[in-house]
Amino acid sequence: MLKRLEEKDFLCLLERIAERWQLLVPQRMSDGSRLLLPWQGGLPVLAGPPLQRKPTEVFFPQLELLLELDDAGGVALPNPPEKPPALLGLDHLDLAGIAFLDRFFLSPPTDDAYLRRRRGALLVGVSGLAGAQGETLPPLEGECDLELILAPDGLLAHPHTARGTELLEGFAEAAPDKLAALDRNATELLPEILLKAARLLQEERVPEDFWEEIAARCIACGGCNFACPTCSCFGVQDRTFGKRTERSRLWDSCQLDAFMREASGHNPLGTETLRTRRRIYHKLVADPLRWGEPGCVACGRCDRACPTGIGMFALCEELVRTCDRHGS
Amino acid sequence: MTAPASLYAPRPCRLLTVSGLTPQEKLFRLQLVDGSSLGHQPGQFIQLSIPGLTEAPISVANSPTRGTVFELAVRRAGRLTGALHKLAPGALIGIRGPFGRPFQLDALRGKQLLLIAGGCGLAPLRSLIQYCQDRPEEFAAVHILYGARSPADLLFKDDLAAWQRSERLDCRYTVDRIPADSCYDGETGLLPRLLSQLELDPANCSAVLVGPPPMYRPVIAELRRLGLSGERRIMLSLERQMRCGVGKCGHCSIEHLTCCSDGPVFWLEEVEALRGAL
Repeated sequence: MLKRLEEKDFLCLLERIAERWQLLVPQRMSDGSRLLLPWQGGLPVLAGPPLQRKPTEVFFPQLELLLELDDAGGVALPNPPEKPPALLGLDHLDLAGIAFLDRFFLSPPTDDAYLRRRRGALLVGVSGLAGAQGETLPPLEGECDLELILAPDGLLAHPHTARGTELLEGFAEAAPDKLAALDRNATELLPEILLKAARLLQEERVPEDFWEEIAARCIACGGCNFACPTCSCFGVQDRTFGKRTERSRLWDSCQLDAFMREASGHNPLGTETLRTRRRIYHKLVADPLRWGEPGCVACGRCDRACPTGIGMFALCEELVRTCDRHGS
Repeated sequence: MTAPASLYAPRPCRLLTVSGLTPQEKLFRLQLVDGSSLGHQPGQFIQLSIPGLTEAPISVANSPTRGTVFELAVRRAGRLTGALHKLAPGALIGIRGPFGRPFQLDALRGKQLLLIAGGCGLAPLRSLIQYCQDRPEEFAAVHILYGARSPADLLFKDDLAAWQRSERLDCRYTVDRIPADSCYDGETGLLPRLLSQLELDPANCSAVLVGPPPMYRPVIAELRRLGLSGERRIMLSLERQMRCGVGKCGHCSIEHLTCCSDGPVFWLEEVEALRGAL
């Protein structure tokens, strides 16, 4: 049931959510970027550039306590948050990233550390005229509890789950033709350039020297991995305080030399060339084989993060050009 | 804090005995504090946990047919294994697991087995060898072929001697080189040389390989020359830096596979075409 939200209704909805969830909403920073931050009252910034940081970090944070150990072999787990998080203002790419990580971490064996943060979380998506330059974002297809739609003459809301329906109770209904002025056609997640690069990789048609050229530009900062909403690799660290040890996990990057290096010195990813190929191959070929979906949602964060211009889009454009030149 | 129910929670176990195998390797005998069996199968590994030093993947070196005590052969290679080497009997350490796909016993039953290990690879293979010893009726014949760098690097020397004395097993080993001051008078040369000495029935023979990465291709080439071709004939266990053991951390991925949960034991045809696997 489509609803119309006046400004006071939207604020009321935010209050309803904040009663039961730890509400995070997009807020504009002084440099024009938007971040998901705890709601302090007022209206969130629904339209604008993509969220600067990946929303998946709410469920898979950069550093996370896994458990505590004591000298006697005792183990204690962290308590779940008092209120589960509510993420508001997610576009279709943000939601695709969350769906990918959900499938990865919640597939058996279920990752309890991820589940601890993810359980009970509320996802509020955004579509309609919410793009950076006012362009139309595609409709959401049930990946969220509730969809906010920026229409030309106001804010609409459409529930996708029972929780979403409950949260919208009492607000005025909107006629379905309120959506008529919007382009509500779903779009393919991956742009053609990435699909073409994926096909070339699958068919082993990328010349080896392409990877050497790209690798020569990598400065191994790990920014591509840390910005990526579907990157899930982690390392483990211990910190000991007297008789108590905190065991945590933290994001790791497959672009670092030690990522796969073994105690024996053997390193299956022992060159930048191998590591660079792995990053792209993993997203575009290995993940579809494993999960039925590419591990790239085309959000562009790695391209914005990479200081040397070898993020996913830039690299795939170059890959396709190189293969065209080679006639492969 | 709440009671543990976590993929990442180690279980406490007691170190029972420690014995030297080589100047770099020791054998640790352990038992879970609650007295329960580890519940492993030959070819599986555990994550060994020491507070302050995180974890390391270690293969279980004995067979589940040998009771509730389990054994780990560990080379001193870094901070965690260095600390482990300093522990005395009675110490408490943590383990998670057992993890991973074990040796595929169903596919090996009734076959003439070629069990081939290089270096530390003898530790996981010893679990299978002991299983074969304890269930002799399940296998047609068992050939053990082992290669180490030098006589001092030979693991499980007492076991090697016992296996050589056994009427049910054919055990041969070789070293790459002999130092000038050594009194070793056994075989020298690389592992494929031992293979050429055997009389095999290739139609009814399966091979299991565990060793350092450089070992695989030459040994596989020799096995194929001897007639082991086709699917499900050569099984191998791959070494990777498993950190979580449950397919989540990404450190042991081989293209679309995860060594800790899809492996570490694979059929050759599952990984041969994957980049970086062998």
